[in-house]
Amino acid sequence: MSIVQYFLNNFSFISKYAATHFSLIFGAVLISLLLWLPVGVLISRNEKLANTVLGIANTIYCIPSLALFSFLVTIPAFGLGRKSALLALVLYAMMPLVRNVYQGIKIVDKSVIEAARGMGMNSWRILREIQLPLAAPVIFAGFRITVVMTTGVAAIAAYIGEKNLGRLITVGLNGYNVEMIVTGALLIALIAIVLDTVLGFFERMMIPRGLRIRRG
Amino acid sequence: MIKLINVTKIYAGQKEPAVRELNLTVEEGESCVLVGPSGCGKSTTLRMINRLIEPSSGTILIDGKDIRETDPDQLRMGIGYVIQQIGLLPHRTVAENIAIVPRLYGWPKDKIKERTDELLELVGLDPETTRSKYPAQLSGGQMQRVGVARAMAVDPPIMLMDEPFGAVDPIARNHLQDEFLRLQSLMRKTICFVTHDINEAIKMGDRIAIFNRGELVQHGSPHEILSNPVNEFVRDFIGYDRVVKKLSLCRVGAIARKDFGVIRESELPAAAEIMRKQQTEVSFLLDHLGAPGGMLARKLIEKQGAALSPGALKELAQKGREAFIQEDALLRDALSLLFELSVDYLGVLRGETLCGVVSLADIREYAAGKEVD
Ligand SMILES: Nc1ncnc2c1ncn2[C@@H]1O[C@H](COP(=O)(O)OP(=O)(O)O)[C@@H](O)[C@H]1O
Ligand SMILES: [Mg+2]
Repeated sequence: MSIVQYFLNNFSFISKYAATHFSLIFGAVLISLLLWLPVGVLISRNEKLANTVLGIANTIYCIPSLALFSFLVTIPAFGLGRKSALLALVLYAMMPLVRNVYQGIKIVDKSVIEAARGMGMNSWRILREIQLPLAAPVIFAGFRITVVMTTGVAAIAAYIGEKNLGRLITVGLNGYNVEMIVTGALLIALIAIVLDTVLGFFERMMIPRGLRIRRG
Repeated sequence: MIKLINVTKIYAGQKEPAVRELNLTVEEGESCVLVGPSGCGKSTTLRMINRLIEPSSGTILIDGKDIRETDPDQLRMGIGYVIQQIGLLPHRTVAENIAIVPRLYGWPKDKIKERTDELLELVGLDPETTRSKYPAQLSGGQMQRVGVARAMAVDPPIMLMDEPFGAVDPIARNHLQDEFLRLQSLMRKTICFVTHDINEAIKMGDRIAIFNRGELVQHGSPHEILSNPVNEFVRDFIGYDRVVKKLSLCRVGAIARKDFGVIRESELPAAAEIMRKQQTEVSFLLDHLGAPGGMLARKLIEKQGAALSPGALKELAQKGREAFIQEDALLRDALSLLFELSVDYLGVLRGETLCGVVSLADIREYAAGKEVD
């Protein structure tokens, strides 16, 4: 049980790393939500724009994270550290968030929208009272994917100077410190799994009551 | 009143117009049924009236005012709209669905609640058990009722209905049609009703507009259209049983005649004599309470009446004891009864009282008649 031993002995700096890790996740997810939710809504109203934007999101998503981090570091305005880390994470989040908002809105039954328009609801009201509530579970699923993905990718930001749980792995690998590597890997995995499970629970709660309920 | 003047709609990227040079007027309080094969432009026409679609050219007036002068959302709030798929908001209760337009108008909560219950009653749903249900908990017919209630929430003078009963089973559809006719007879709204079913059109419309490939082919009352189809297309579309269909348009009372005789049971021995004197084709047998209980046709009596005993006469008369029909029944039902009982005459009843007679010949005459007003 040398890993437990290692964890307890080094608790003070590990907890500092964890705090940095969480603050990066939190910052990245927050910015992503503020940015990508409106973009998702916007493209749900314009097919052409949607194709372009989703294409871009897909392409970004395909870039390996180490490559993206390294690339951003070379841009003077970003450089090593948090700015580059945040930007990369926000770019990765584009795909799950924008896509899920778009799809969530698009899968709302067309006849519901037609009836609402036909009754004189304006498009803002339709968005707020119909499309977003009905898309909520799908949007939340995108949020959940984003959080879990960000947890993992944030660890890689240790390579560009973030002092987070990923650093246990990078430093551990340098000196071949097995306890350190395993502790880092386990913690990151554990956090991701716990977040996924908890958010999965909330995701089910996002389904509107009228859709959960069945005849009988 | 809704007036479409030279309205044409060509969808982007299409050569053929979906609606071509349409001129159509729907009078105040009248229900006009747009009917025709699928894709002939019925829905397009309807959706231009509430500006869900803008015409490519032409003008639409509502109560004399060009609809382009009104903000589309404002315009739609004042027009009831029902579609086949209903489009109830699945995450809202029945009451919340009905409250949509009242909320757009900013009605106070208690007024909305009161109106919701009133509407549910009106469309034949129990407010107590229905109002807080979700659409997923309703049957197809119940959903359609809620759809109609929702469209009538603020009592709009105009209703647009696009195949509103198309998705329910035939029995429920019939029922919904009857109830809607009952509502319409009370409310006298101006209605545009789309269907592809000619029988529904005949049943629901004060006037019918028959479309083919984006063009209005014939516009007139069901009777006009069944009597004088303008061309082969209309003839085909309404079907070769059009004369029989016409029998659904007229109630027995409308063609019943008064020239019938009555014979009391006590008068049976002199039946032949009385009938000869009354000079009527048919007499009905009344029992001692005056209730009709049989029928004697003069033809029959003249042939063999004198030879029959009162008892035999009574028996003969009573063969026709079921040959009576209410005056508000349709001629179609009268014809069916005539065939079923193998008789030539039916007594026409108003409640329990005999008030007329209708014969096979009368029905034939009505059906063959071209135009009667
Ligand atoms: N939004 C649309 N865009 C392009 N074409 C359409 C659209 N809606 C309907 N059409 C076409 O216009 C014609 C008339 O359609 P529609 O009015 O829906 O017919 P109906 O309701 O009589 O079945 C059809 O050929 C249909 O394919
Ligand atoms: Mg249609």
